[in-house]
Amino acid sequence: MAKYLLRRFIQLVVVSFIISVLAFLLVHLLPGDPTAVILGPNDTPQNKAILLHQLGLNKPLWNQYTIWLTAVFHGNLGQSYLNRESVTHILATGFPIDLELIIISQVIAFAVAIPLALVTSRRPNRPVDNVATTGTFGMLALPPFVIAPILVAVFAVGLHWFPATGYVPFSQNPASNIHGMILPSLAITAGSIAVYYRLLRSDLISTLQEDFITMARSKGLSSRFIMWRHAFRPSTFSLLAGAGVNIGALIAGTFIVEYLFAINGLGYSLVAAVNQRDYLVVQGISLVVAIAYVVIQFFIDFLFTVVDPRVTRG
Amino acid sequence: MTSGNEISRRSFLSRSAVAGGAVALGAGASSVLAGCSSSPSASPGTPTSGSKPGVGTGTPVRGGSLTMATVSEIDGFYPPANHWDTTGFLYANAVYDPLMAVAADGTIKPYLAQSMTANSTFDTWTMTLRPGIKFNDGSSLTSAVVKANFDALKASILTGVALKQVVSVTTPDDMTLVYHLEAPNPNFPAGLTTQVGYVVGEAMIQASSNSGKAPTPIGTGPFMYASWQQNDHFTATKNPNYWRSGLPYLDQITFKPIPDTVQRESTLRSGGVDMIQSADANTISRFSGSGGSGYQLVDTVTGVIGQPTLTYLLLNMLKPPTDDLRVRQALAKATDQAQIQKIFAAGYGKPVNGLFLSGSPYYSSTGFPGFDPAGARSLVNEYKAQHGTPSLQLTTIPDPTAIKLVQIVQQMWQQVGFNVSVNEVQQATIISDFVTGSYQAATVYQFGAVNPDLNYVWWSTTTVSPLGQIGLNFPRNSDPQIETALLTGRHTTDNATRIAAYQTVNERLAKDLPYIWIVQQFFSEVAQDRVQNFANPTLPDGSPGYAFDEGIIKPTQIWLAG
Amino acid sequence: MPDDRELSNTHAGAQLLSDRVPGSAAFDELVVSRQSESLASDDILVKKPLGFLFWFALSWVGLVVILALIANLLPLPNPNYQNYSAINAPPSIHHLLGTDDLGRDLLSRLIFGARVSLVVGFVSVVVGLLIGGTLGLISGYKGGRLDSALNAGSFVLLAFPAIVAVIAIVAFWGHSLFKITVILTVAVIPLLYRVVRASSLSFANRDFVVAARTMGATSGRIVFREILPNVIPAAVSFGLITAAGVIVVEGSLAFLGLSVALPTPSWGNLIANGATNGNLQINPYIMLWPVLAMFLLLLSINLIGDRVRQRFDVREGLL
Repeated sequence: MAKYLLRRFIQLVVVSFIISVLAFLLVHLLPGDPTAVILGPNDTPQNKAILLHQLGLNKPLWNQYTIWLTAVFHGNLGQSYLNRESVTHILATGFPIDLELIIISQVIAFAVAIPLALVTSRRPNRPVDNVATTGTFGMLALPPFVIAPILVAVFAVGLHWFPATGYVPFSQNPASNIHGMILPSLAITAGSIAVYYRLLRSDLISTLQEDFITMARSKGLSSRFIMWRHAFRPSTFSLLAGAGVNIGALIAGTFIVEYLFAINGLGYSLVAAVNQRDYLVVQGISLVVAIAYVVIQFFIDFLFTVVDPRVTRG
Repeated sequence: MTSGNEISRRSFLSRSAVAGGAVALGAGASSVLAGCSSSPSASPGTPTSGSKPGVGTGTPVRGGSLTMATVSEIDGFYPPANHWDTTGFLYANAVYDPLMAVAADGTIKPYLAQSMTANSTFDTWTMTLRPGIKFNDGSSLTSAVVKANFDALKASILTGVALKQVVSVTTPDDMTLVYHLEAPNPNFPAGLTTQVGYVVGEAMIQASSNSGKAPTPIGTGPFMYASWQQNDHFTATKNPNYWRSGLPYLDQITFKPIPDTVQRESTLRSGGVDMIQSADANTISRFSGSGGSGYQLVDTVTGVIGQPTLTYLLLNMLKPPTDDLRVRQALAKATDQAQIQKIFAAGYGKPVNGLFLSGSPYYSSTGFPGFDPAGARSLVNEYKAQHGTPSLQLTTIPDPTAIKLVQIVQQMWQQVGFNVSVNEVQQATIISDFVTGSYQAATVYQFGAVNPDLNYVWWSTTTVSPLGQIGLNFPRNSDPQIETALLTGRHTTDNATRIAAYQTVNERLAKDLPYIWIVQQFFSEVAQDRVQNFANPTLPDGSPGYAFDEGIIKPTQIWLAG
Repeated sequence: MPDDRELSNTHAGAQLLSDRVPGSAAFDELVVSRQSESLASDDILVKKPLGFLFWFALSWVGLVVILALIANLLPLPNPNYQNYSAINAPPSIHHLLGTDDLGRDLLSRLIFGARVSLVVGFVSVVVGLLIGGTLGLISGYKGGRLDSALNAGSFVLLAFPAIVAVIAIVAFWGHSLFKITVILTVAVIPLLYRVVRASSLSFANRDFVVAARTMGATSGRIVFREILPNVIPAAVSFGLITAAGVIVVEGSLAFLGLSVALPTPSWGNLIANGATNGNLQINPYIMLWPVLAMFLLLLSINLIGDRVRQRFDVREGLL
């Protein structure tokens, strides 16, 4: 186990390092730089030179990178060129939002997809299954930016059940926080439901054909008992793997929903930062996304051992 | 400051890649040519029975908290270092006060200043400050503080240009400042209604220069900075010691940026905020008639003081094919302004033939070409015979409304024989493209800095550069007659001469066509009925202030009906 | 029995993998390989005629493809022509599906938009399968340094915030249909690589492969003659779902102004236009038709994929 953890840690460091280099190079090689954004039409060569010097952007690229990396090892991710806000602060406010969006949307997705798959997989290609399949493909065809305005029109403007936009920190008021996150989470959740449902359903169908299920059936156990007790657990491998990839993509990937609901999460900050060439913010967020991705994969791996203890690590 | 320094945050922050509006330049800042008022400031979009929208009825009620959704977010509160657009001025009006302010009749009146007088040649201005005003950190407003503000603004690479004409500032006593200008400028006070006229506490200036961190606002304003979470909210609480006695009425005001227009409107309709700001003409139509019942709408449809923000198409005069006057004429004649106003601006808007709208004293018939597709076609054919089919790229940022406009224009130009492609570029690069002249045609909205002198840099021959070099004259329109007229307009003390000068500018622009005028850029404010008096400010001397300055309101005298 | 085989195989795969690739997401592969088999065994017991729905689905996909191909020859109005006297018109005899907020014919835009969406969706996946799939096949069988390197590379690509890369590439390179397709192809390669690699890994130590090896077959022959046919079903089924995902992603890029140049229609930018500028309230048809078309296409592709897999399950014959 210690060896495994160490290997994971090395992986984390290596992936984070490569991604920090890539993110650094990508944003620095982009046409335009933060001075153009800061100065606008005052972007004269003189002003630009002054500003580049002030921001330390006149140094060679490798030098800028090593300066940044050294600072990172000291826990300093730098600050935004544009508003001088520290990157750590941006991450500290944005990451919990992404985390919450992901948790709520994924809880809903699992809560819908799992029971649905359990019901439909018992009798595949029957009407209930067909309706569910149709419904989930409908969800795949509806991007969040279509679902979001519909949800707002119905549940915020029409029924006044939920706020249309905005974010209240959990620490400030847990109830309003969750209240406000329901609609954005629902806008994200549709795609996840569809994917999870498809994955779990096909695994369940295959598991249900296995001998031990037939045996359990022959012992006269109720089919609900068989489903939960015997079939479900061994059928969650694809689901977990799919969840890993999906959740990984959602970290800082929900920018459209964040934009529409005026929530200042990581995705929104990241897109804004790339567009404004706010290098340090892009680098900081990219680093966090990479680390989160590795950690999620690690967690998913851990879940595999829970699901099937026979799975051991070499 | 001049609009030249003000790149709207709207185009950088809102929506990031997702939205923005046409590229916004200038605008927002209230800066009015003294003595040249035009139409009434606020215009009731929805005439409600009896009361006027935005004007309070009954006795003001004290207390309560107001939440307002804004179009965009600002990059900070420090005048020398940040870019303020409409939202920036909204925030500034909460925590700071300007030295000078615009009155409802368009005159410039003292605000933090008590008086502002010029010598006979208008090159030395003497300002006396109002006594007894304190910043919210307890320090006093003195000439030394205003001088410190001036020094920081002048030293800044952002705002320095706006104060270039000021050679020096002296402080003969604690309450008096003397501005020495390099040349006469009878309109100098107008500049002090803008970003360079807002005064911050000395401790804030020091905090800014000492640490790399963004300083916490210290001001004399009606509210005091409480908290700011960028892209989330800005909250300010009542200043109990505000120098304008009895004000403000509200206990607290919160601003929330909601970049998407429809979502912002939905938030208002679902009760999430008390009022919203909008830069989209469709907001006006959606809150007019039955859609507006229960809401008060104030907008800029019937006019603004002086020069409005205009949406226009920018043409590069040094790049083929738009370097050919016939091509620019053909483009202008191919552009069906009335049709665009109908589709793009929800049917609002007066015909635009130049920098000023009918009703403005500067307005004149400029000779700007009207819609004439046949004429356009024959010009294109003439050009075609020599150079082949003219092709051009129409540049825009990826914003849904801008994209709509661009597609309409594309079809109109194609119908007379042009080959037009749409080029969506990012906000981070579009301004540098303009400045360096690496574009052919583009959508922009700009020029809302009422006093036309504040737009000098955009039109002057002194800011024309070759392609590839920095020049603020985006179209690279080198016209000595315009330069002469602009300088006349700046220096003259005679109103008629000034009007004639800017009419000349307008006529020259209509002749050489660096800009194809489309429509006024409409700003609006929509509030729940209980929000009282949001567009009815008074100045310290009791006279009515400019109520609705291109989307900017003053929160000082707003109250909430019980 | 299938389940025994499956378990032993996948576990062997996991062992191999974790031995060979320090720090790889072993169970990611394990699961995908398991999934590929379970997907295949999914419908073994319901082997039946292709059925009416299959033909209906196939006709729909065929219709969409053919309409997209011959769009120029159809008696359709110009998809980009803005008719200002028919703005936001409801469906009628003049405009069968209505018009959009600029008076453009929605049927025409839908059909022309299919070109972009189909190209983006299927070219990216086919090319992605050719590149990512081939790499995955070899990587999974061969193992060693090549496998470690490719695997690490795919992990980095997946962990990198995709939107940063897309904005960067579009800013550098512009956004024609070709370029957008290339960008999305690059994005799907690591996904397809991982699926195929996992599948390939699970077959690498199977009896028939070992047998072929002991008989002196070359690696190339083993990979392409023994392993490839077994990997194809899972790869194709995953590829179809990925194609659907890519069509949706193109819509998100259109929403961000990062997709094909306007006014070229794509289902993605039609949906994006239908959801912005308040069009959803004024004229829901703009958004409705492309969503419906895409929904039916996804449904049909899935159905066809399922039926084809049931019908031509190669692995069955090998056992």
